[in-house]
Amino acid sequence: MRAELKGATIGAAAVAAVAVLWTQVVPTAGQSEPFRATRTADGKPDLNGIWQALNTANYDIQAHAARPALALIPAPARDGVPGTGRATPTDIPALPVRALGAVGGVPGGDGIVDGNEIPYQPWAVAKKKENSDHWLERDPEIKCFMPGVPRATYMPYPFQILQGSNEILIAYEFAGTTRTIHMSEVSDSPSTTWMGWSRGRWEGETLVVEVTDFNDQTWFDRAGNFHSDALRVVERYTAVSPHHLLYEATIEDPKVFTRPWKISMPLYRRYEKDRQLHEYKCVEFVEQLMYGQLGITDPATGQVNK
Amino acid sequence: MNDSARDRSSRQAFLVALGVLAAIAGPAVAQNPAPRAEPETTLRTAWGDPDLQGVWRYEAAIALERPKQFEGRELLTDEEVAKRDKLEKDQAAKRLAGADGVDVGRSSVSESPIRGNEYNSFWQDHGRPRKVFKQTSLIVEPRDGRIPYTPDARKAETRSAARYGIGPFESYLDPDTGERCLTDGVTGMMWQGPNGGHNRIVQSPGYVTILHEEYRDRRIIPVDGRPHRNVRQWFGDAVGRWEGNTLVVDTINFLDRTNYEWANVWTRPSETLHLVERFTRVSPDMLEYRITVEDPVTFQQPWTAVIPISRLTDGTQIYEYACHEGNYAMPNLLNGARVDAGRKER
Repeated sequence: MRAELKGATIGAAAVAAVAVLWTQVVPTAGQSEPFRATRTADGKPDLNGIWQALNTANYDIQAHAARPALALIPAPARDGVPGTGRATPTDIPALPVRALGAVGGVPGGDGIVDGNEIPYQPWAVAKKKENSDHWLERDPEIKCFMPGVPRATYMPYPFQILQGSNEILIAYEFAGTTRTIHMSEVSDSPSTTWMGWSRGRWEGETLVVEVTDFNDQTWFDRAGNFHSDALRVVERYTAVSPHHLLYEATIEDPKVFTRPWKISMPLYRRYEKDRQLHEYKCVEFVEQLMYGQLGITDPATGQVNK
Repeated sequence: MNDSARDRSSRQAFLVALGVLAAIAGPAVAQNPAPRAEPETTLRTAWGDPDLQGVWRYEAAIALERPKQFEGRELLTDEEVAKRDKLEKDQAAKRLAGADGVDVGRSSVSESPIRGNEYNSFWQDHGRPRKVFKQTSLIVEPRDGRIPYTPDARKAETRSAARYGIGPFESYLDPDTGERCLTDGVTGMMWQGPNGGHNRIVQSPGYVTILHEEYRDRRIIPVDGRPHRNVRQWFGDAVGRWEGNTLVVDTINFLDRTNYEWANVWTRPSETLHLVERFTRVSPDMLEYRITVEDPVTFQQPWTAVIPISRLTDGTQIYEYACHEGNYAMPNLLNGARVDAGRKER
């Protein structure tokens, strides 16, 4: 398992090779020679490893231009101010994120949605905009809540696939969340969940996971894209080189969308020496934000709360 | 929520049960734990490692620390085991019949410092009788079966017990780490928790992963010969190796969280905490888990516990634990304390 690549030299060579390979192996319609992954001891495609998306989908799964901050407010009118008439930025960073400067900016991206359109029902278009306008108060990521599926896949944190004998684990670094992919028959989920109830199967080279029993609390990104508890996600993980998976997900939610829609992206294998997921126990990071004002005193200020 | 409440109340339940038992048991001569026969489990993963996979749970009725009644005795007699087994079965039957309190070996609502203790009671398992073993305590070293706390740690434990369910809760830093939905610590993870320590072990080549249901605590333990790394974490840095059929896990590099409140002070990590754990599947359905805990900040000497853990039937699940996501207790606790403080001022 650690045999694939041992040193930086091989790593560099591999990157060069991948650059060539990638253009050839990204599956396209009618591709003739699909990549065949190495096999596990029980003969299944070996997807074990630490993987990570390298895109900006967690900011916005749709195509988006770079912008100054995640939370923006309209710049005040410049009437009567010297310089009126010059170009004025229409939006400036909202006060809570202003101090971050360029660190708090949002990089642009091409998006991960096939055709770039999310087929919202009319009411849901308005809800999405409202979510976006209230991002600071509403995004579950800010509160360290479990991110849901597929969002966990393309957050800027690695995750690890661990192929056990009877189930496959997908362990995410963010908020220490783990999904159990049941590869044999399993009872129904007794309740709705944040990360869904996952049933997996192999279709040739591809691990197909049907994920159901979601609650309506998670989002797709920081742009306010959302779903209901009728969400059903079918994920497809396919090794397309020793170094990449192709991740595809079909998203269905008859309460929110007019039709199923699809996302896809490459996932990259992490090759650092002694690579390992780290802890990201973010509950501790958000307690002051969530509870600082509620107690008798706020530990951040030492002040007595009113 | 409030798992530590469950830990504490199940600890109280142990004591109640043992008190009853002590009355039955009477004196006996001191014995040493019988040496375990070297197991020959042939279960192997497809890639040849000993197979520890499955959902495991601590289902025994052994107190962590040896109760006073058993001072000087490491084992029960066969007769005592039989009596106790009957008691456990009777109590389980009474629990199923809806009885509560001392009849079922746990503290009653009136004995609890928490008004409405039935909330915690609700979460506890009312099903199978607990399994009876000869051990009088999980702790086998030191030989007195007691946690060798330093004087300061002993004070912290006394303070923690006195605060439990009572507070004061002036800010979010005052509830214990369990109530904050952080963790109850890695030390007790294999056998503590509302469900008796409910863990799924999954193996893949080079890794043993343990999923603990409560707080969705997770340990991904490399068993590929890599060295410790230099990052401190709540759960430290664990590296594993196989010694015959036994998985040996060495964990260091814990974050110091001794300034937080812990439901059980023996589970708190400091930078000098060092755990050595040995997992041996002694039969298809039993895991012998042995843990040695060393930390001069909390303990005067290392201590070792041996914990028998049962494998649950295939198909048993570990469910999602959305503790922080649904921590309504935290804002309610803090709002309540603030309102109370305002009233007192007036």
